[in-house]
Amino acid sequence: MIDLIRAELLKIRATRSTWYLGVSAVLFCAGWAALSALVFLGSAAQETMSAEQEITNVYQMAQMAFPFTLLLGLVGMSGEYRYQTITWSFLVSPRRDHVVIAKLLAYGVLGLIVGVVCAVTTAAASALFLSVRGSAVVAPAVPLVLLGAVASSLLFAVLGVAIGALIRNQAVAIALSLTWFFYMEYALIAFFPEYARWLPGGAAKAVSGMHLSTGELLPAWAGGLLFIGYTLLAATFASRTTLRRDVT
Amino acid sequence: MGDGRNMSTITVSRLSKSFGAVQAVHDLSFTVEPGTIAGFLGPNGAGKTTTLRMLLGLVKPSSGTALIHDRRYADLASPITQVGAVLEATAFHPGRTARVHLHVLCKAARLPLSRADEVLEEVEMTSAADRRVGGFSLGMRQRLALASALLGSPRTLILDEPANGLDPEGIHWMRAFIRSYATSGRTVLVSSHVLAEIEQVVDHVVIIRSGRLVWEGTLGELTAGRTLEDAYLHLTREAQS
Repeated sequence: MIDLIRAELLKIRATRSTWYLGVSAVLFCAGWAALSALVFLGSAAQETMSAEQEITNVYQMAQMAFPFTLLLGLVGMSGEYRYQTITWSFLVSPRRDHVVIAKLLAYGVLGLIVGVVCAVTTAAASALFLSVRGSAVVAPAVPLVLLGAVASSLLFAVLGVAIGALIRNQAVAIALSLTWFFYMEYALIAFFPEYARWLPGGAAKAVSGMHLSTGELLPAWAGGLLFIGYTLLAATFASRTTLRRDVT
Repeated sequence: MGDGRNMSTITVSRLSKSFGAVQAVHDLSFTVEPGTIAGFLGPNGAGKTTTLRMLLGLVKPSSGTALIHDRRYADLASPITQVGAVLEATAFHPGRTARVHLHVLCKAARLPLSRADEVLEEVEMTSAADRRVGGFSLGMRQRLALASALLGSPRTLILDEPANGLDPEGIHWMRAFIRSYATSGRTVLVSSHVLAEIEQVVDHVVIIRSGRLVWEGTLGELTAGRTLEDAYLHLTREAQS
């Protein structure tokens, strides 16, 4: 298994889209943090917020890493079908489950790295531009905000692999995942708000929003476990269906 | 079991495969003995690729068995060190270099990375090692696929239409390669629908048509004074009528 993970990590390093998406995530998070410090801090829209909340919101831009790591996982797994490299993977390891488990773990590592780099650069950008605005640069919730950002980055990368294993068509896998997290789940919550905490996006928010205590969502640890549960469900389903199919 | 002394290298018995209503392979049986170069012949769509993919565990038989070294592919210990396979030549990530592609396989199979350069040398592709596969010609992809198959120094090679996309010089090279590989007791099963490609190298012939066995035996028995083309056309037409 460790050999398969090493092979996956090499694929990750040697693929340009990894670097494009990773760098995009960093620029996006740090860029939004800078923008929100420069433009929104103290603006009319935020009049009702405390200063600490405003500062926390700047650092919170680190949490925008998750769509990028979700894409990394999706592209990494469904790319195996798209480019038929799955044939080589299965020739080396006829235990097809092992190929996917190795990829889940390798993308967990990637999600962690991208999450940490995003958190660090976003924190640096936040501190810099908050001080430029003459604001205080830290708030008590900041460490948890960053921790939540790193955790959600990791979790979404792994989920991306599981969905990519289930849905062989790369475009469909990406479109479905993004519409779910940015549209469909919100639509569902509008009708059934009481279920929000049990849905994948709600579980993820419990993790990334661990600095909050709204009571609407699960505790962070439970949200994390639920999210991993969804990931394992997708991966298990994939191993029972998609992975058993003939490779022609 | 396992020393290869008195078993066939490849044993296909009563193998069948249907894709929905289409019966691709029907009750097919044949063997390939150690040290032989076996030609696997048949028209396009005869079921050659499906049979080879069943041997490699990529396609699940509807019934029957396809064994390599007396085991199912999935039951072989570190399979790529026992069997090398060249399948369709397009199966590479276009953004990776030839060397990275091979390194990925080395890592996954716990082979030394130095094997990558060795096999690139063997297929005469050293100069293209650091180029992205996306820019490769079909012939270069075939060579890289062959290099991949050789990584684990297997004693059995399965080649599906290896001459596809090769120019005459490339076909000549491939033939010489197969011949030299099969010395020292190693075994090759090579499929083709172009007879001229393999007539000069094979010593055993398996012919199928519409998923059924048409003929199996040595090249000498098959041709009996005729050219392989005559014998082949005679047999496949007979099977059709």
